[in-house]
Amino acid sequence: MKSDNPFVPHMATLREAVELTPDVMLFRIDLDDPDLKPDFSYQPGQFVFVSAFGTGESPFGLTSVSYRRGPLEVAVRKVGTVTGSLHELEAGASVGVRGPFGNHFPLDDFRGKNIHIIGGGIGFAPLRPVILTILDHRSDYEDLLILNGARTPQDLVFASEFDTWAASPRTRLELTVDAGDKSWTGRVALIPSVVRELNLSPQNSVAVICGPPIMIHFTLIELKKLGFADHQIVTTLEGKMKCGLGKCARCNVGDKYVCKDGPVFTLEQISTLLEQF
Amino acid sequence: MRQFISKQNLISWLRQQMEARQLVAPTQVDDLILFRRIDRVDDVILQFQNTATSPKEWLFPKTETLFHVERKDGKAELIPAEIDGETVIFGLRPCDARGITMLDLPYLADPADTLYRQHRQKTVLVGLSCLTACPECFCESMGSGPEDTAALDIMFTEVRDGYLVQAITEKGRSLMPQALLSPAETVKPPAPETAPVPSEGITAKMRQAFDGPYWGRVADRCIHCNVCAYVCPTCYCFDVRDYTNKGSVERVRSWESCQSPGFTKIAGGHDPRANKGARMRQRFSHKLLYFPEQFGPLHCVGCGRCVRACPVNIDIREIMQDVQRMGAPK
Repeated sequence: MKSDNPFVPHMATLREAVELTPDVMLFRIDLDDPDLKPDFSYQPGQFVFVSAFGTGESPFGLTSVSYRRGPLEVAVRKVGTVTGSLHELEAGASVGVRGPFGNHFPLDDFRGKNIHIIGGGIGFAPLRPVILTILDHRSDYEDLLILNGARTPQDLVFASEFDTWAASPRTRLELTVDAGDKSWTGRVALIPSVVRELNLSPQNSVAVICGPPIMIHFTLIELKKLGFADHQIVTTLEGKMKCGLGKCARCNVGDKYVCKDGPVFTLEQISTLLEQF
Repeated sequence: MRQFISKQNLISWLRQQMEARQLVAPTQVDDLILFRRIDRVDDVILQFQNTATSPKEWLFPKTETLFHVERKDGKAELIPAEIDGETVIFGLRPCDARGITMLDLPYLADPADTLYRQHRQKTVLVGLSCLTACPECFCESMGSGPEDTAALDIMFTEVRDGYLVQAITEKGRSLMPQALLSPAETVKPPAPETAPVPSEGITAKMRQAFDGPYWGRVADRCIHCNVCAYVCPTCYCFDVRDYTNKGSVERVRSWESCQSPGFTKIAGGHDPRANKGARMRQRFSHKLLYFPEQFGPLHCVGCGRCVRACPVNIDIREIMQDVQRMGAPK
């Protein structure tokens, strides 16, 4: 039954569940309604609510890119009841999808610039569509730095794509972990100190950051020390959300709603908010 | 021309409404007067100052099913809830009706909240103007008043032996048969005066008072019982959850309050507003700063219910006075 009720999700089918890390699954989801599929377009940074009926729904940043016309992809870390239920689903299961919601990363403004993508843990997931868009339109952008950090080597998301990314023209991939293991020969350092060590240049650059609040906080400090201006720093705010429509008022911060006015904000925009999230 | 309805005719009219549609009106429930569905016209209370809770719950219920999930041949199908049947709410005080115009602003904004819109379309709002002011009321300072007709379809004003009748909307006129009315011979009684609060310029002052220890001090005594949000005719925050009962699944929304400790806590445990003072500041900032900046009006109609209900005497009137006195942030 079709409904104009914005709380009623589109029915969808879980096509595939791929284990990205011990606690993160990548879900590939197809909308059931064939009429809906061609019109369901979205931009990097936008999110959807995914329902596990009987448990509830939660918002997840889309990790896929709309123009590739594949299934919707979200990376889900098992941290609560809804994510726990989603992790138990098998291919073929019915799920609900509402969205897409929110604003998006300003990729048009990134054209002709050097781009530093800095992601921590599951926060790296919504940055993947930014990377894919840049790599698929490589000549539109200058140098690309991808910095992906996680707690341990096993927690680095999208590891199977690292080689492709690293081999792309004018692209540099840096990985770091908080704690290594026997097989890890790479960097062991927190993201903010890697940012300092890499001595990122603010010249004709933007930095795009997503990750846990504490990582974002200290990364911003380092970027500012390196001379990045507030308008050169693009990040995301996280908020408890129940509707995605600016109605439940859960994600209200200052005169903005994270769901509607965000989740993507420049540091310049964030600094004008009365309340700091 | 002003019209009059005798008390007897009003009772007949209420009976007609009760038979034709759902009638909701103030009635005695234990020691409280509340808006409830009326099955006997005699249960309608005509003499009261205001109800303990606002009539908001008849348009935005405390809990409401958004949709049911049905399983057919192993496939899930979603059955959206629909509001059927018309309702007449009788006896709204003008402040509470004004409160409904505040719910309209976020809920009817595109895309409209479907269930709220259906409730709104299928509900006739019949007001009863105030002849006395509640001790805690300050409606006139908040853009309402004892004779405010905002959102109302019909307004009644009590006079000797009956009521003056003002049919405000087409919906209201169509429901008020001329046969029950006669030309009014009595003059309209004077409206009561309500106590003023310093609401003028409060939005700019709230911005100045945002930082500083004030909100933490006010919050110290808050026991997060949430009664302020539950009695408020304008508070509109909600929660959404799935409920499963004997294999049947439904998604339900329910009232929530920004004073709840988990209101902003996200998966993984981070809470950007873990601090009690910040939550207290959110309540008053939403009412006196964010909502006016987003939609225009202050998000309070001055009904005084939160003042009456708060067990620790947190008083929005005092807060407005304090904020007006506070200078620029340090």
